[in-house]
Amino acid sequence: MGVWDHVIAGVLAVFQSDPVLGVPITILMVLGGFLLGITVGATPGLAGPMAMAISLPILISVFGYSNDALLPVLGFLIGIMKGATIGGAVPAILFNTPGTPDAYMTTLDGYPMAQKGEAKRALRVAHFSSASGDTFSDIVLVLCAPFLAILVESYLDLPEKTALLILSLAFIASVIGNSVGKGLISMGLGLLAAMVATGEDFYPRLTLGQPALAEGIPIAAAILGVLILGEVFKALEDIHHNGVFSSAAQTVRQDAKVGTLGLRKLLPYIGRSAVIGTCIGALPGVGSTLAATLGYTSAKRRHTKEKEPGAPDFGEGAPEGIAATEAANSSVSGANLIPVLSLGIPGNAAAVFLILAMDSIGGFNPGPSVFQLGGGISAGALNPEMVMAFGIFTTMFVANGLNWTIGGMFMRSVGVMARIPKERLLPIVLLLTLTAIYVQETSMVAVWITLFFGFVGYAMRRIDMSPLPFVIAFILGGNLEATARQAFAATGADPFFLFNSPIALAFIALAVAVVIFSLRKPAS
Amino acid sequence: MKLRLSADKWLALFFLAFALLVILVWAPLDTGTGLVEKVRRKFVIGDALGPTVAGAVIVIGALLVLLRPGTDKMISRENVVWLAALFFLFALSMVLMRYAGPVALAWSESGYRPLRATAPWHYIGFLIGGTVLVGGLTGFAKRQLSIREFAIGFAASLAIALLYDLPFDDLILPPNGDV
Repeated sequence: MGVWDHVIAGVLAVFQSDPVLGVPITILMVLGGFLLGITVGATPGLAGPMAMAISLPILISVFGYSNDALLPVLGFLIGIMKGATIGGAVPAILFNTPGTPDAYMTTLDGYPMAQKGEAKRALRVAHFSSASGDTFSDIVLVLCAPFLAILVESYLDLPEKTALLILSLAFIASVIGNSVGKGLISMGLGLLAAMVATGEDFYPRLTLGQPALAEGIPIAAAILGVLILGEVFKALEDIHHNGVFSSAAQTVRQDAKVGTLGLRKLLPYIGRSAVIGTCIGALPGVGSTLAATLGYTSAKRRHTKEKEPGAPDFGEGAPEGIAATEAANSSVSGANLIPVLSLGIPGNAAAVFLILAMDSIGGFNPGPSVFQLGGGISAGALNPEMVMAFGIFTTMFVANGLNWTIGGMFMRSVGVMARIPKERLLPIVLLLTLTAIYVQETSMVAVWITLFFGFVGYAMRRIDMSPLPFVIAFILGGNLEATARQAFAATGADPFFLFNSPIALAFIALAVAVVIFSLRKPAS
Repeated sequence: MKLRLSADKWLALFFLAFALLVILVWAPLDTGTGLVEKVRRKFVIGDALGPTVAGAVIVIGALLVLLRPGTDKMISRENVVWLAALFFLFALSMVLMRYAGPVALAWSESGYRPLRATAPWHYIGFLIGGTVLVGGLTGFAKRQLSIREFAIGFAASLAIALLYDLPFDDLILPPNGDV
């Protein structure tokens, strides 16, 4: 079976999934996730990963652990991921409050436009730019991920794969956050947590004799605790100390007439930002906020040189500023699946939850082996993982189609979400998260473990240590150890197996270089 | 002479000590095999190597923080008080969630256990614990506990309970898997 057979099978897996009300269930799930994503994106204090975290246990309860569950569940999560990015622009433009951190730059020009009575035009510019960047990024994903995976599988043996994982972790620890030292500490703690009760010996290591830990730390409890609860604890304390703010107080004049978008002027800004966002998104650990910042500053330089007389400057209501920001942050969402699907390495919080879903349901192990033509049960059979990968690509394009058709209309109707007070919403999110954990693990111990990791995540945020290296190292720790064990055995117990091959040596040298280079960046 | 170190340096020293504890005490004592083991005349990586490498990564990170301290943010006394308040609220909510049902049915002959999957009894713990948790957290954030917040907490708890319980027969609400 050739590549095209897998592509067709992947597309059919989406469009021929069980119908509900005459519509294939996977398409319905992408639609549901996309609309939910726009809604949570438009709600300051919530974010895409939060909605993904809460939805996952419910989705698994509905669809179970069979192979048929994978595409509807991943479709829903991908829908949330994509919807949240465009939803974040809504309160940024209407209320000067970014719905998601990566929409901060959108406030700089979006809100001034809204104050001038051009809110609808600003929302349309944001939507068009976001959908364009997203589509571009997805096309790059489809073209790059399989080739990267095949390259990795063809040229990298076990020692090189171990070195590549070390390089990825070093890169993530170095680029996320303000301090490479704290990034490495966070990563080390994540690796340590991944080691609890996961060894090869019968004795459950590092459990301190606690039977509750004998099965290891529940992966969902640790991830949801650090990422979601930690953020909720911090946000509630900020409200406690700083008082309640009502973003809805700053309402704007709504324009009756939208006017033209001025696409000809916007396209160069969208194109440049889409390329920047895609390149940034493909690097593990570098998130959409940096992409938005780089896209905005690059566009600002161009705009200063080329703007027409009388046109507003960046920061004073220039639609080009919204276009540059939204194209850049949206183009991260497709590209960040390149390391997920080709290497099995999650690059940001959204990717973490996609991997968590794949890991929980089973039947799909993201990594270089996914795109092997000979991966089926016999020589001529389809590789089910490759079919699934093309099914995932199809759900992304379905989400794109929804974005182009109903995304703009829906995003203009969710402005009301910014009026929900955070101090009421976040405790409900917390209870929902704890309930989701209990439903999955059926044990109060798991709830306490989640709360413990919530306190860990809170403390990390307070000492300016990013929790993302912890989470990614926790996910990759088992894989890294298993690959290292195999490489050590395959090289005849060579203690220098990471330094004998030129490629592995280059990866290790790069890992050291990226840490040293990152030491030079100033703390912000 | 009093030693004055920045917050980041104290943090680095704390993690350095923790990592050394992991490498020198915890990993050797709490693993079944050493760094490297001989199995059937072949050397293989033992269970202690992974935790030791994790500890080594923390050591490197701590040394880098010592050499280049950054933003100097630390956990303040206010943060500790906040954490203590949260812990108290969680402990109270969890105790209520765990024991409200059994206490409410202590008068009956059968007790709570046979009724833990029967409405409305199986909602008791979740609703009481959830109400206290949501209402209390909102009150903490707003510095004002009010009946209104607890009423919202009750409504939210009920909505979450129904969300899980009505469509899915096989899902168990907290704390009914533990009683």
